[in-house]
Amino acid sequence: MTAGESGAPAAAIEGAGAQRRLGGFALQEYALVIVVVLLFVAGAILKPDSFPTWDNVRNMLTQASVVGVLAMGMTFVIATSGIDLSVGSVLAAAGMFGGILVDPEGSTLLFIVGAVGFATLLGTVNATAISYGRVVPFIATLAMFSIARGIALLLNDKLPVSLLDLNGGSFGDPAAFSLLWFGTGRILGIPISVYVFLGITIGAWILLNRTRYGRFVVAVGGNRQAAKIAGVPVRRTIFSVYMLMGVLVGVAAVLLCARLGSASPVSGNLYELDAIGAVVIGGTSLAGGRASIVGTFLGVLTFALIFSLMTQLDLSTEVQQVTKGAIVLGAVLLQRPEARL
Amino acid sequence: MGGSVDSATTPVLEVRGLVKEFPGVKALVGVDFDVRAGEVHCLLGPNGAGKSTLIKCVSGVVEPTGGEIYLGGELLPVGDPAASLERGVATIYQELDLVDDLTVAQSVFLAHEPRRGPLLDLDRMSKETTALLARLGHAGIPPRAKISSLRPAAQQVVSIARALSRDVRLLIMDEPSAILDEGEIETLFNVVRRLTADGVAVIYITHRLDEIRRIGDRVTVLTDGRTAATGLAASTPTNELVELMVGRAVEQLYPERPVGRGEVVLEVRRLRRLPEVRSVSLELRAGEVVGLGGLVGAGRTELLRLIYGLDEADEGEVYVDGTQLPPNRPDRAIAAGLGFAPEDRKSQGLLLDWSLTKNVSLADLGRFQRGLLNVRAERTAALEQLRALKTVPDDPDRRVGDLSGGNQQKVVLARWLLRHCRVLLLDEPTRGVDVPTKAELYRVITALAEEGLAVLVVSSELEELIGVCTRILVMREGELVFEIEGSKATEHELLRYAVAPTESEDFIEEVG
Repeated sequence: MTAGESGAPAAAIEGAGAQRRLGGFALQEYALVIVVVLLFVAGAILKPDSFPTWDNVRNMLTQASVVGVLAMGMTFVIATSGIDLSVGSVLAAAGMFGGILVDPEGSTLLFIVGAVGFATLLGTVNATAISYGRVVPFIATLAMFSIARGIALLLNDKLPVSLLDLNGGSFGDPAAFSLLWFGTGRILGIPISVYVFLGITIGAWILLNRTRYGRFVVAVGGNRQAAKIAGVPVRRTIFSVYMLMGVLVGVAAVLLCARLGSASPVSGNLYELDAIGAVVIGGTSLAGGRASIVGTFLGVLTFALIFSLMTQLDLSTEVQQVTKGAIVLGAVLLQRPEARL
Repeated sequence: MGGSVDSATTPVLEVRGLVKEFPGVKALVGVDFDVRAGEVHCLLGPNGAGKSTLIKCVSGVVEPTGGEIYLGGELLPVGDPAASLERGVATIYQELDLVDDLTVAQSVFLAHEPRRGPLLDLDRMSKETTALLARLGHAGIPPRAKISSLRPAAQQVVSIARALSRDVRLLIMDEPSAILDEGEIETLFNVVRRLTADGVAVIYITHRLDEIRRIGDRVTVLTDGRTAATGLAASTPTNELVELMVGRAVEQLYPERPVGRGEVVLEVRRLRRLPEVRSVSLELRAGEVVGLGGLVGAGRTELLRLIYGLDEADEGEVYVDGTQLPPNRPDRAIAAGLGFAPEDRKSQGLLLDWSLTKNVSLADLGRFQRGLLNVRAERTAALEQLRALKTVPDDPDRRVGDLSGGNQQKVVLARWLLRHCRVLLLDEPTRGVDVPTKAELYRVITALAEEGLAVLVVSSELEELIGVCTRILVMREGELVFEIEGSKATEHELLRYAVAPTESEDFIEEVG
């Protein structure tokens, strides 16, 4: 006899779960807001001169925007109870592909179209393998993780491509419309890449919470059979999230290359972990069926704050890597009782 | 009818003034209850009456707040499953807790495998399993067969054998018949009779009143955590039992049958998908409720899935209003006006973690989307349907998983009403639902038909089919073999057609 059948007592116990949602905003999201505030306060106390400055905040947000864009796409993927391990490699491959196209003096637009197009193509390969080839997402994207990194290294014989001389501006003039403008330009003092990240976050929230498509995505992750019986096009939905992920990886690649002024075949290393980590600490269930864009956004901020703080405290990247993994593990452990594994 | 009762012996189980409080809820408020050796004591009551809590207290899974439990005259240390197990208490749950990939013998001896030194004694396991199965009258189940290759009835026998392997004195069976058809229920009863003849005491929980007379010796009725009546004779008239359960006189379990003389809405022509369904043709008219009876495994669920487009047919066509449905496209079937309430609400019908609103609107989100989803309109529309069906609670923001089985079924129905569906396919709509809620569902189904819906109901409860349906079709081995008007049908006749002419005890069957 399962919980639903056992009547009053079980209902009372599970009722506690239902009450976790306060006015449509989950408890976990409140908790994350507090974490973000506490981290900021901690930074301000430990490094009063350098941490709570506008420069530092701007830097943090600029760096977070690349992983942030990935995390938005990852939220959709994970909502279907899928996973995409290939985003870091695809990001590198997309940047390299765009770079080869324009090397040495193509147009910025061509670079963007090339990078986003190539990432979308690789995302579509993932999508096809998973939804029509019925390959488990973990395996399909693990294969792509290797394939895309290999492509990134092959494209220019393991060498990076400089993007400093694309038409429409140069490194010295970040105000003009150019690739560098995306990386270092500002409007009202806020970097362009931050606008892109915020815009994609808002778009993702609307898509997930206020469209039929978003409902389908979560339904597919929550209960595939039930979704199918309710008329949800299950395969098409799964296909679409990996394709969407590809598009967003392309956007992230453009942001990263624009900031660095070059495309590197070794960039994006371990970005999949950052993106998945942000999604998971944001409260999206790895088992599918529950997803939160606000949570992911806060998760991205949490990661950004922690690493900015650790960098300023002169902790090595190795220590940061250990911390990152530990946080993700902790977040999944916290999720466990709800996921009912 | 069950085993003989010797009232002189001390009861195997004695429960005195049992109380269990969960935070905010009193699940049990003073339950008295006893079971004697060799008797089948039926436990009856609506969902939420405390039946589960009571048996969980006895099996040690739940620790009671007050009262005593005696096993064989000795006080049972409460809240200790191992103590209950040691004293010979075994429970067979409704949803069988067997592992699909294990063999029969491995399942029977799971967690107490016989060993020779550090190694498993496979020989002994196999031999003892055969012996136990033989004791239950099912020596035919091979000890090396995988659980997944057995039909539900055979799996249940394995579960019982597992209980016996631990020298059981009190066997608790929680709605064992829910997953069985008529023929298999008789098999189960034979097993139970063998056990009671050996002196085992049995607690039998059921929502099917007819079973009490067939297998029970005595009945205890629970309502609101109290014993409304304890130790009644199993021959107590049904009306009386229902009144005890509901706390008032119940006018009628079944409403009047809909007549259904509308236009043909659904037409199925020579639909086939081997091996489950072979060439089935049928017509469904607006306003009628058509029952689909037969044994489990006769292909009824498979037929519904084919009509709805969940599986692909080998051949045959489905027409709605004369227009052919494309194969394998549930979304197109829905667009044409079909709705489907699957057999297993929890795993196929609903998203348990979602709110009522979202579950109701899932099949018809398009109507709320003008650019963006209008979530307020969505909630209002869902609430309207939930209220119309008297769903309890009707809070549209509540999690569906918190609702009782009957109310979950109403959420599924609300989904299709919102969608203005015209043909409703219901697979075992009242399974696991208590008697008062069943009566309510019957009224809902009948009312829907009167509003012009065509309803096709699969049910393994023949009494229910006869009570509700305009027409009844009987399916056997993938074919429709009999049709009769509901008002003229008898259980005996339906069963005769449902059971294959050459009856075999062959339990091994591929599961689709």
